[in-house]
Amino acid sequence: MTALALRQDGPGTSAVPGPRRRLLGLAVALALLAVLLVLSVMIGSTSIAPSVVWDALFHSSSGIDEFAIRDYRLPRTIVGLVVGVALGLSGALIQALTRNPLADPGILGVHAGASFAVTVAVGLLGVRDVQGYMWFAFAGALIVTLMVLALGSTRQGSSPVVLVLAGVCIGAVLGGAREALQLTNPEAFDAMRYWNAGSVVGRPLDVVWPILPFFAVALVLAFAASGPLNAMALGDELAAAQGVQLVRTRALSVLALTLLAGGATAIAGPIGFVGLMVPHVARWIVGPDQRWIFAYSILLAPSLLLVSDILGRIVMRPSEIPVGIVTAFVGAPVLIALARRKKASGL
Amino acid sequence: MTTTPLRRRGAALVAALLSTTLVLTACGSDGDDADDTGDPTAQTRTVQADNGTIEVPADPQRVATIGNTTLPFIDLGGEPIGVTEESATNVARLPEDQQATYASAKILATSADEVDLEELATLKPDLILVQIPDAEFEAIEKQLELIAPTVFFGLDAEWKALADGIADAGNVADALSQQKKEFGDKVAKIQETYGEVIDGTSFVDISRGDFNDPGTFYIADIGCSEIARDEVGLDLPEAAEGADPLAYESLSFEQIGELSKYEVITYPVDAEGQPTEPFVPVVESNTWKALDAVKSGRALGVFCPGNNSYGAAIRYLDSLDSALATLPAEE
Repeated sequence: MTALALRQDGPGTSAVPGPRRRLLGLAVALALLAVLLVLSVMIGSTSIAPSVVWDALFHSSSGIDEFAIRDYRLPRTIVGLVVGVALGLSGALIQALTRNPLADPGILGVHAGASFAVTVAVGLLGVRDVQGYMWFAFAGALIVTLMVLALGSTRQGSSPVVLVLAGVCIGAVLGGAREALQLTNPEAFDAMRYWNAGSVVGRPLDVVWPILPFFAVALVLAFAASGPLNAMALGDELAAAQGVQLVRTRALSVLALTLLAGGATAIAGPIGFVGLMVPHVARWIVGPDQRWIFAYSILLAPSLLLVSDILGRIVMRPSEIPVGIVTAFVGAPVLIALARRKKASGL
Repeated sequence: MTTTPLRRRGAALVAALLSTTLVLTACGSDGDDADDTGDPTAQTRTVQADNGTIEVPADPQRVATIGNTTLPFIDLGGEPIGVTEESATNVARLPEDQQATYASAKILATSADEVDLEELATLKPDLILVQIPDAEFEAIEKQLELIAPTVFFGLDAEWKALADGIADAGNVADALSQQKKEFGDKVAKIQETYGEVIDGTSFVDISRGDFNDPGTFYIADIGCSEIARDEVGLDLPEAAEGADPLAYESLSFEQIGELSKYEVITYPVDAEGQPTEPFVPVVESNTWKALDAVKSGRALGVFCPGNNSYGAAIRYLDSLDSALATLPAEE
């Protein structure tokens, strides 16, 4: 905790709450998430009475509305929860790893890799269903992040700046290749319009279960790396002096965030702002300790995603707005407001 | 449409070369001689189009089609020498003879805004039929007119007007007359046979395409459904005046239950009567299976081979006729 003591003297971190207030905040975040989970099942683009929702969840009734709850709203809510957790934690990891408060998982090429792979699957191989191309997205994210890691590693290890540069470069190349493929194949472009926007509609739970073990591994790796990442926030030399293994910590972090962001993108497409904004909010509430930031991100990110998805269902009824668009609309102004707060911007 | 400097330079170069070629051609031939030979392609007449009054050959022999004019021209028995590419789905829905006609044409581009003008010029067409967005046409209009008389239809041209225009310019009006008669007879037969159903039943036509996000579908108020509503007289939902078509709205599967307010549901099937591939997730959903219309046999699969030519519309009406015949009698 030396690191924290040093950081607490820095600008903007003088009001870091104590453990009891942090725990209380965590409980509030958990309660908020629970409420939103219920609302996500209750509210949709059609009006279904609460009693019907109750019957659908706890009785084996077979009316149309009960099916709508069990087959669509419930899976959609679970998808939102899982994807939100993954995006929030991966965002917190990338910001801690790069010591850059404006980093998000996309900066390491995760979204570019997933999008390129899905374009290949849809445009060249004719894959059309989400169960089919999710594995392409996951593999694309993993392969590209490994490439970034390889390109961004120097003899002294992997520097965050070089990693980010490698990620941006590979992302730009793959983005160009993806656009070229889509322009020469209008049907693929059509098929990918909604995937590119980021959506949790129509993702059955069959899509989520295979990814969950990867998320579980990533969760363990992330919390294992959280202590060393606290030390690394002071700089590599000080961290090394405290016995932190820099290369190992970075490798674990990159692996964890790739599994999380790659899996989330595979399920829902590229959803921006959640991984960027939520760790900011978490840091604003709890200060620079990564363990608390991770915990808060895990609860706040799905809350943001679920709120955005609920809004997307009701603002243009009976049509819907993909959640990725709503998170951008909600996230951008909030992020600007946060960035203007001095204490929110430091790591 | 914006063009890159490279593309603009390329287009200018093509235009210059074409101008030179046309000038040389004009110098080397005598228009009167051509008329003297009695060659019908040398005789001209004028047609009205969205780009003005165009002088076209009386009996064009080498027609190139760009955009939405390809399938209607082929449907009228035309044999284009060059076409812009149609989607595999559209081609697969054509009758075999029309598929063969399409396959024998030179593909000029994957999309209308990328037509290879040099390639088009080498085909030496005597008529070019175009239906693409206005802005895209304006970008290539001058180059096309240097190659051959160009007849343009805007996207707001209604399908019957488009068929009339294509038949007039392409000199295939006889085929159009036959198709119009067959279409009218078919509509009359359906109205006569199912008059009671048409008058007293609420219908909805729904669909789903490759372009839809997973878990979404749409109410099809345009396309073949327009023929069923506007020609046959089925009571089908329609967007409010001035509003976007209902088909532009993606609806999530949880709204399948909302279809229960309609008495008969029509949905897309292929030529063999099976639900189209993008629509399969809808018919496999529990909410669909729980609909009264589905359980009582009042969900009808209808084949829509296209809606911008009479031949395709006639095939649609055949399918609708067969589907309506399966409706269970009212109890």
